[in-house]
Amino acid sequence: MTAPQRSWAGTRIRVALLLVLLYAGASTVRWLHLGAEWPARSGQDEISTYERRFEEVRSVLPSRGVVGYLGHPDPTGATPREANAASVLHFRRYLLAQYALAPVVLIESVAPEFVLGNFDPGTQPSPPAGRWEKRDFGDGVVLFRRSGP
Amino acid sequence: MTLALAMSFVISTTTGVLLLRLLWPRDAATCPWPLLTALGTGFGAGLSAVLLFLWMIAVGPTRGFALAEVGLLALVALTSLVRGRNRTTHHPVSSDSRRGSRLLLLLVLVFLVTLTAAAAAFLSTLRQHPHGEWDAWMNWDLRARMIFRGGEEWRTAFSGVIPWSHPDYPVLVPSLVARSWLYAGRETLLGPALVAATFTFGTVALVVAGLAALRGWSQGLLAGLLLLSTPFFIIHGTSLYADVPLGFFFLATFVCLALDERYGGATSRFAMLAGLAAGLGMWVKNEGLLFALAVAGGILFANRSDGWAATRRRLLAVGAGLLPMLILVVSFKIAFAPPNDLLSTLSVERTLARLTAPDRYYVVLREYAHHIASFGQNKFGSVAWVLTAYLLGLGVSQTEVSRRWVRAGTAALVLLLAGHFMVFVSMADELPRLLNSSLDRLLLQLWPSALFLFFMVVRTPQEAAADSFVMGRPLEDH
Repeated sequence: MTAPQRSWAGTRIRVALLLVLLYAGASTVRWLHLGAEWPARSGQDEISTYERRFEEVRSVLPSRGVVGYLGHPDPTGATPREANAASVLHFRRYLLAQYALAPVVLIESVAPEFVLGNFDPGTQPSPPAGRWEKRDFGDGVVLFRRSGP
Repeated sequence: MTLALAMSFVISTTTGVLLLRLLWPRDAATCPWPLLTALGTGFGAGLSAVLLFLWMIAVGPTRGFALAEVGLLALVALTSLVRGRNRTTHHPVSSDSRRGSRLLLLLVLVFLVTLTAAAAAFLSTLRQHPHGEWDAWMNWDLRARMIFRGGEEWRTAFSGVIPWSHPDYPVLVPSLVARSWLYAGRETLLGPALVAATFTFGTVALVVAGLAALRGWSQGLLAGLLLLSTPFFIIHGTSLYADVPLGFFFLATFVCLALDERYGGATSRFAMLAGLAAGLGMWVKNEGLLFALAVAGGILFANRSDGWAATRRRLLAVGAGLLPMLILVVSFKIAFAPPNDLLSTLSVERTLARLTAPDRYYVVLREYAHHIASFGQNKFGSVAWVLTAYLLGLGVSQTEVSRRWVRAGTAALVLLLAGHFMVFVSMADELPRLLNSSLDRLLLQLWPSALFLFFMVVRTPQEAAADSFVMGRPLEDH
């Protein structure tokens, strides 16, 4: 190998290593920024906050079995885009309620004896058709219990 | 509680490392502790997850499991003490083991800085989002809660009444989360965080240690550096999904296949360990089944010139490691899991219609190209371009690239990508949405294995420099 060829090969190796180091450097800066965003208090995230809404109702629900679920908003909308957004929000709230209340299984139905209502705070939900006892836990969380046919 | 969680980690890791050391072939040239520890951490976690599932079938999710694991560890430690007294630990002689190499020192320094920064980002992100992301609440940690809270009724976790939670998915990750809570005595968000950290940083350790043992420390550190710098790898690790754990077992399969070719002449143990790692992948996610098939296909392809007898021997050894996990997974699918929601909605007519629609192939191909080219994007650029430039700069080691396992591994990755391609084409209802939400995750599962394969075949800086002496001295000394 001639001297210019050796020099070119050496340069290629150095440039290749430099590229790896630059790529790593760019990510390291990002990691440092993320690391510096350390929250002062834990448990203030969206999911933990949402879960706390169900703490009280969890204590009166049966410890196991299937419980009905009535959610909000309705998965409908004026346009397909709005309907899709409402549907995603409806589903997200449903699965977060399921996540909070496990091992009780929540199904989107009013057939079971207990039906959990998960509504926007401040709304006045009406019970499903039939005779139901209603207990309001505040913040949009309501528990319906079948009291007759 | 923190101590109990630490114990859960130490017990599974120590059991895994000691078992691996017992299995390590006596005549293998190397038994490096960094590699044993990295592999043992994953195998130990996998073993714990399997044992807990069997324990639950026998007695339910009870705290007695921790005592049983301590008993198992004592047994393994005793056996290791008796059988390992005369064993010595050799360290590999790598091309860059000369202490004081300036390049190696630089790489160690940069790696440690990046590791520290990545760990800080990982912890900070988890503190901001301790419940992880969508699939963690919908599937992995929901299932762990149903197991832990369910007590005797833990099988409710696989109820077909909530098919959207994918109750047919294998349960390595939920089992490990539930196990951490059994040790702690109560639910804590530190449990899933510990599982995520174990596999995220365990994968980095395995890439570094595997390459260090087989190709030298500089190669290992470079690969580890790129893995730590892949934004999606660290961020997704904090999402508490199962893709990073699955990627660990894919990588472990590749490392064991490489060890098998290097040191497995007189033993089938590394091939069996490769099968076991692939089997544990099947216990993480359904994609593990496709991976096991792809590995078998890759071995068939790579060994075709050696004759059927040699190929059969290797396949049987891998299959022997895989078999226990295959039995477990099949039993789980039959006895516990409801039908897969994707498969159960399939019809021959709809599938044929999809398979004969050219636009679906075009959409999937376009997204494959886009997601691969932009994978690992940070402010500097995509990691795919960094690797391309690195390959052009250093070149390929002809010795390494001609190895059978390299052909097998490459074929397995291609088959796996092709398999996912056909799944997208034939099964996905909302194709663009599904590609957008899952293709990066599928690539992430393969990413540690692809990096390992890349740095196995690309020349080390020392090898490349040997061909380009500058002023009569190798590059690394400048």
